[in-house]
Amino acid sequence: MEALKITGLSKIFGSGRLEVRALEDVSMAISPGDLVALMGPSGSGKTTLLLCVSLILEPTTGTVVFDGDTIYQDGWTGFDVRRLRREKIGFIFQSANLIPFLTARENVLFPQDLVGVKGEAAENRSHELLEYMEVAERADYLPALLSGGEQQRVAIARALANRPRLILADEPTASLDTARGKRVMDLLKKVARENQTAVIAVTHDARMIEGFDYVYHLKDGKLNNNI
Amino acid sequence: MDLAVKDLKRHLGRFLTTVIGVGLLFGTVMAMNGVYRGVVFEGISLIEALNPDLWVVERHRGGPFSEQSTLTEDFHYSVAAVPGVAQASPFITYPVEREIFGRSRRFTIIGYDVFGGLGGPTRLTAGRGINRAHYEAVAHKKLGVSLGEKLPLNHHQYTVVGLTDDITSPDDEPVLFLSLPDAQEVLFQRDNETVRNQRERLRRSLARNSVNSQEAARLLPALQSDTHTINAVLVKLAPGADGQKVARHIEDWLYFSVYTSGEEIDLMLRGRLAKARVQLLTFRIILLIVSMVILTLVIYTFTMEKIRSIAIMKLMGAANWVIVRLVLEQSLLLTLSSFIIGWLIIHNTQDLFPRKIFLTPLDEAITFGLALLGGLIASGLGIWQALKTQPALALGGH
Repeated sequence: MEALKITGLSKIFGSGRLEVRALEDVSMAISPGDLVALMGPSGSGKTTLLLCVSLILEPTTGTVVFDGDTIYQDGWTGFDVRRLRREKIGFIFQSANLIPFLTARENVLFPQDLVGVKGEAAENRSHELLEYMEVAERADYLPALLSGGEQQRVAIARALANRPRLILADEPTASLDTARGKRVMDLLKKVARENQTAVIAVTHDARMIEGFDYVYHLKDGKLNNNI
Repeated sequence: MDLAVKDLKRHLGRFLTTVIGVGLLFGTVMAMNGVYRGVVFEGISLIEALNPDLWVVERHRGGPFSEQSTLTEDFHYSVAAVPGVAQASPFITYPVEREIFGRSRRFTIIGYDVFGGLGGPTRLTAGRGINRAHYEAVAHKKLGVSLGEKLPLNHHQYTVVGLTDDITSPDDEPVLFLSLPDAQEVLFQRDNETVRNQRERLRRSLARNSVNSQEAARLLPALQSDTHTINAVLVKLAPGADGQKVARHIEDWLYFSVYTSGEEIDLMLRGRLAKARVQLLTFRIILLIVSMVILTLVIYTFTMEKIRSIAIMKLMGAANWVIVRLVLEQSLLLTLSSFIIGWLIIHNTQDLFPRKIFLTPLDEAITFGLALLGGLIASGLGIWQALKTQPALALGGH
């Protein structure tokens, strides 16, 4: 069963002469553990696709099937999308977007707190993830005191906290130098393989997609076949 | 996870500074409440403390506090003879400024019938009441004198035999109780030069009216101004007597105005204290509004600074209550802490103010209620902003 299947997905902003077709008839299927790269020029609809997949933005038409459940179909959604996001989707952003007043450890505890995992279980999971991301020794630091690479690794740990079925990563290496960017991508690959988590990563940088299972190109909202 | 507390802990310095700042503002609001209540309290404390059944004053005058009232002393006998009156006592009060032990002091002298009459000190903190017709005094402790000290007033010295703490003048000046004749003497006694000038003026006036010098010399002592005047007669009614009936009788037959103590208080509140009250009340309301606006802005700013974090939380699937709790809890913590700081400040400094700061639980409850309302309004605005924040903001778009 696919982790994610989208069919005929479109997103149109505005109407009439101001109409902008951000996504047009996009279809793809991703299995658990798949690593998918989305490439394309600025404004091609990459981020919009991530937002539509996670129903942060409501698509205009199409179908989104997540883990076997149809979560969106042509303007209808019968799902508690926030619950879906907190339980099954992990997000990694271009900048780490950690909550600034929480320490690294607390940033990883927070998504667990949202799904009711607290106490020792949550602490153990946080510690385990921060060790996995090799930032455990910085666990009690506020984000402002971490380097860009450390912040991004904490962000990945946070995204993994609730063992998501899907990770959506929006240019996770854009704010990092090549070496650190490569390291973050390697971590994503590791996560996908070891946890059977599907990963969709948006990137501009062709050097980062080595080892990805599928690479899709978006241009003017249309998806080309994967390479 | 208590996000509100974690955020405040991370910004403890800023939180404490804000709490102290807003707390000072609340302290000022409570001080204004206290000043307002204090002015009213002081304004009527003398009336409330003496509390006779009736005040008999000069006809058509709102005396003796709200307006000057002058009566001839002997009239208290007429009042005492009215059916239903158990006791009628002469009463005089006036402010003075005199040098006491090298320091200029303003105070109010009250003269009363020291042999069982009404109008004397109601509570002594030290010493005894006046029991001699002359040269004894009971002083309010704010006058700064001690038992046994001698106060020089005009040509005489008055021994402080008792101290009191419950009565101040309507202007919060300490009160000095004297016997009625002593109080009249201090008020009316002139220096020799003034007496000579007054006699000369009368002599010239008589001469202009063809009175010969021999006759003028005989008449002059009788033409001196009368010093046996008082400001009011205090009345205690006989048990079962109808106060209104007695008052009407005095007004109809003796041609005075009569007020109950309640009416005297009304006269003060509507007369002498009215402008001060309105002024203070207006200032109090403005200050309260300013405090609420500032508190609202502070809380709103606190929320808006976190709007990106809130977007991240929403993107991660945080339920609305998580965000509502964050904003509301922070707002309540800020409001409550500020109020407590303000409360502590004013309760620990109220005695340092030159005039009475009269703090009442009701005023404090109202101030807290309004502060809370401001906090809730600010929270409402913050929550509204937070809830309409698009999760996509976390991505830097939309």
